[in-house]
Amino acid sequence: MSVPLARRQLLFRKGRALAGIAGIAAALLLVLALNAIFAGINDRLTAYIDRSGADVIVAQQGVDTMHMTQSALAEQTATAVAVIPGVAQARPILYVPAMIERGEKRGIVYLIGDDSGGAPLPIAAGRRPGLGEIMLERTLAERLAAPIGSRVRAFGQSFRVSGEVEGLASILNSVAFVRRQELERVLGSAGVVSYVLVRAQPTIHSPDLAARIEASVPGVTASTREVFARSERRVVGDMTTDIVRAMILVGFVIGVAVAGLVAYSATLSQLRDYAVLRALGLRARRALTLAVAQIGATVAAGFVLALVLVWTLAALLPRLSPTLVLAIRAGDVATALIVAGAVTLVAAALPVLRVARVDPASVFRR
Amino acid sequence: MTSLVHIHDLARTFGEGESRVEAVRGIDLDLASGEIVLVMGPSGSGKTTFLSMLGGLLRVSAGEIWINGTNIAALGERELPPFRARTFGFIFQDFNLIAALSAQENVEVALNIAGHSGRAARDRAVELLEGLGVANRLHFPIEQLSGGEKQRVAIARAIANRPALILADEPTANLDSHHGAETMRLLRELAKEEGTTVVIVSHDERLREVADRVLWLEDGRFKTLQALVRDPVCGMLIDPDRAPASVEKDAKTFSFCSLGCRDQFLAEYPSRVY
Repeated sequence: MSVPLARRQLLFRKGRALAGIAGIAAALLLVLALNAIFAGINDRLTAYIDRSGADVIVAQQGVDTMHMTQSALAEQTATAVAVIPGVAQARPILYVPAMIERGEKRGIVYLIGDDSGGAPLPIAAGRRPGLGEIMLERTLAERLAAPIGSRVRAFGQSFRVSGEVEGLASILNSVAFVRRQELERVLGSAGVVSYVLVRAQPTIHSPDLAARIEASVPGVTASTREVFARSERRVVGDMTTDIVRAMILVGFVIGVAVAGLVAYSATLSQLRDYAVLRALGLRARRALTLAVAQIGATVAAGFVLALVLVWTLAALLPRLSPTLVLAIRAGDVATALIVAGAVTLVAAALPVLRVARVDPASVFRR
Repeated sequence: MTSLVHIHDLARTFGEGESRVEAVRGIDLDLASGEIVLVMGPSGSGKTTFLSMLGGLLRVSAGEIWINGTNIAALGERELPPFRARTFGFIFQDFNLIAALSAQENVEVALNIAGHSGRAARDRAVELLEGLGVANRLHFPIEQLSGGEKQRVAIARAIANRPALILADEPTANLDSHHGAETMRLLRELAKEEGTTVVIVSHDERLREVADRVLWLEDGRFKTLQALVRDPVCGMLIDPDRAPASVEKDAKTFSFCSLGCRDQFLAEYPSRVY
């Protein structure tokens, strides 16, 4: 084994190396954390669909999402779906955005009018809503300071809080449940439902059932739960892609600036060493490798630190703010890794040029 | 002694047109194995340029440098570095040790560059440093070593690959008289016991004691030392034909390196004996 020259040079000025690693970690953390936040939003966005117990979701024709979407179906649609072979249960729901208020405090929710009061979602506290009652997502209940038994307002009506559910809120929105009949009355939309949640019989394949529903009931779009959730995620994806791209670019630019500055100043301070090594017979290519290895190691250490930090954030943030969930996906880690690689290449360019121009004869200059 | 180095019509120019400078010109020189050659001369005389070309660090403008049968002036950029690693050992005035490495690693890295690695390189580095009396400083950072210790580490690095030729640039300049003498002794030992040819560029007159030959480089050319005279005021060796001033006194000609020395001479003569 040879003398670990790159490592020795890198660690010789520990303060500078640590500053470089920290700066690069901060830049990559920006990329990782933002991706994780949006991934967390996506997860929470489909939490209701994922846990609703529905195998197929029937919506107005052309509609395959809930978020930022309106779907209107005749109430009889549920009856028509229920008799299709393979359907175990067809449950109509009303789904509208609403503002829930308690005193001065307000929160935006998707208000779901459901005859079952949100079943089969497990209840975290209290009970499912009866007439004149509402079941809130726990983080919203805490934010509104609306404990079970207190009253909140929606659409100008007062509701008594009957219970709480968990794990359905994101930083974008929350959900609340009332009886469908109650919401119908409040909205004055008798005879209209938003979606029909369909549970398939045990042996029935969901895509087949969805196709059968579309073939049997005119004017509807029937999607399996997975397809519906994917579409839902795409809605947020479309809304956030530009933001994520912008932040990746910002992270990249900051990373390049930090890594470039650190690498360049480190290289400048080592030019004499490079000249000596070249004089001793080190090939130019190996001298360049030495310079790039130091930059690469700094960026790699920054990347690892950024990963540790984002995982720490993912563990800690939900405790501080339950709606802020960070979901770290392999694809986003790969994106950060690509950004790190690009940072290394760009940041290494200038130092490499300097090292390439090192004149070994300069060792004799004083 | 057999000839190790043969230099023929060596020249190096810098710049073009009016700014063209002939740093070294028309140098012919042979160096024998085990010979110690001291190159002296005024600042700007071309000593460093000569040493850089001899060490394969600077391209020649014209001429040939044959070392052990290889004309290094004709070697390509890819061939020069490994040739340097195998053939030369460099000793610098400022030691030029790598501060990020320990004393042992500074020696080891030269071996690594020449293709030796692992235990063999480590053992060789330790053996050399022990031989040079710095065994108790193997793992010390360079900045914690004294000037004499640094120079011994630099010498160990220079001889690590058993080079045929050691090129030393002012090797005693940053050392006190004791360590300077120690360095001179080591260089002498290398040449006489190992058969290494040593070329020293220096202003240090003490190095004459160990040199087999002293060459005087001035204006890019070697001059015969016998033809040079000493400035009676500052003691510098100068070419009387090119001296800026000279004075005839008592049927004797005095040559000076500058008008200042001449004026001082005239002011003090004959009260001060030259």
